[in-house]
Amino acid sequence: MTGSVGLSALAAAHGSAVLASGPSELPSIDDFLPPEILFQGTPFAMNRIVLIRVISTVFLLVVFGLTAKRAKLIPGRWQGFVEWMIDFVKYNVVYATMGELRGKRYVPVCCTIFFAALCFNLCGVIPGMNIAATATIAMPLMFALWTLTQYWRSGIRSNGGLWKYLKKEMFPAGVPWPVYILLSPIKFLEIAIIQPGALTLRLFANMVSGHLTLATALVMADWYIVQAHNAAMVPVGALWFVFGFLMTAFEIFIACLQAFIFAVLTAVYINSSYPEDE
Amino acid sequence: MTTLAEGNSGIDLFLPKTYDIFWSFIILVILAVFFYKYFLPKFQKIFDERAEKIQGNIDKAAKAQKEAEEAKKKYEDQLTKARVQASKIRDDARAEASHIIADARTRAEEEAAQVSANAQKSIESQQKQALVSLKGEVGSLSVALAGKILGKQLESDAVQSDMIDSVLGDLDKDDVKA
Repeated sequence: MTGSVGLSALAAAHGSAVLASGPSELPSIDDFLPPEILFQGTPFAMNRIVLIRVISTVFLLVVFGLTAKRAKLIPGRWQGFVEWMIDFVKYNVVYATMGELRGKRYVPVCCTIFFAALCFNLCGVIPGMNIAATATIAMPLMFALWTLTQYWRSGIRSNGGLWKYLKKEMFPAGVPWPVYILLSPIKFLEIAIIQPGALTLRLFANMVSGHLTLATALVMADWYIVQAHNAAMVPVGALWFVFGFLMTAFEIFIACLQAFIFAVLTAVYINSSYPEDE
Repeated sequence: MTTLAEGNSGIDLFLPKTYDIFWSFIILVILAVFFYKYFLPKFQKIFDERAEKIQGNIDKAAKAQKEAEEAKKKYEDQLTKARVQASKIRDDARAEASHIIADARTRAEEEAAQVSANAQKSIESQQKQALVSLKGEVGSLSVALAGKILGKQLESDAVQSDMIDSVLGDLDKDDVKA
């Protein structure tokens, strides 16, 4: 009952969000470049997506803050769930990648990235928000830059200096020297640009495509069922609606999956910055 | 900056706006501080406390079990000791009983022997007495008898006593033969 109500609210919200830019108009890249609505023209301007990001951050801080504040030795259901998520990141993401000894200091970074990304990604299916807070390039980029500084720092520290880290990354042992001419620049690009770039684009593109697919499905459903005034087309609209329903579920899955992937890759990149023989 | 323009091209998606970077950075810093300084340490504390408590309970249980085992061993030892003692007491009692019985038997046998010896003695003495008195009576009886048979008093005491002696001697011989 509540599910169907929630879903229709979701559909209505999707419809209105998109229809605001014109009836029967399909989602476009403009959804990701919304107009500034607060502090226009300043470096602190906010558009719709930034606002969603701020709201979801406050939500995350309040919910997790209260959970931590009220945390008891014997956990309730919600605390148990939060603890399960922490344990998941700790053991299945960090320790599974680099072991407990090395991974202990990187649990917070992976936790922060995982929970923040998860919360921001899920905004894509929250009625009224309908777009992921990670659906502008800056947020995934910030995550990726953080990952970048983490693995450069761990690489420099564990290899005993910047040059030793670069040597380890760019001149892997056991390769004939002419190969270095090609290999070394590629290896450098990899740790400097390709890895963070891939992290950024993977998350961003997933959120963009997720929103486009979902919004398209619901706009089409709205069009065929309500706007077209054509009874023959209602079943088509119903099919679109079912598709939208499935895509919502799929988006929830993708939101979790991308948060997980981002956290895992952060752990993997940090781990691979360590010296090989350790 | 950009408004809702139709002219947005795809590349604009990948060019971060200054304000977007600003807010993303601020938010990430806030979240990082929250997770590093409050959320995770708090939960780590809870995890540690819980582990400690569980460990403490396990230790307590182990201690209790050890104590119980010790008490059990003590009781079993006591029980064994008591059993040994009981059987010892039983053995002692049995030994004492047989001793008493043996004593009693010995005493009874001794008494019986005494009684039978006394009886034997008194029988013997009575027999002797009887024999003596019998001898006397037999002597006088036989003298009287002989006198009656001979029809006269035996004259002299000497003859008389000779006769008695010879009769008694015969009697003694008969006794010996018998």
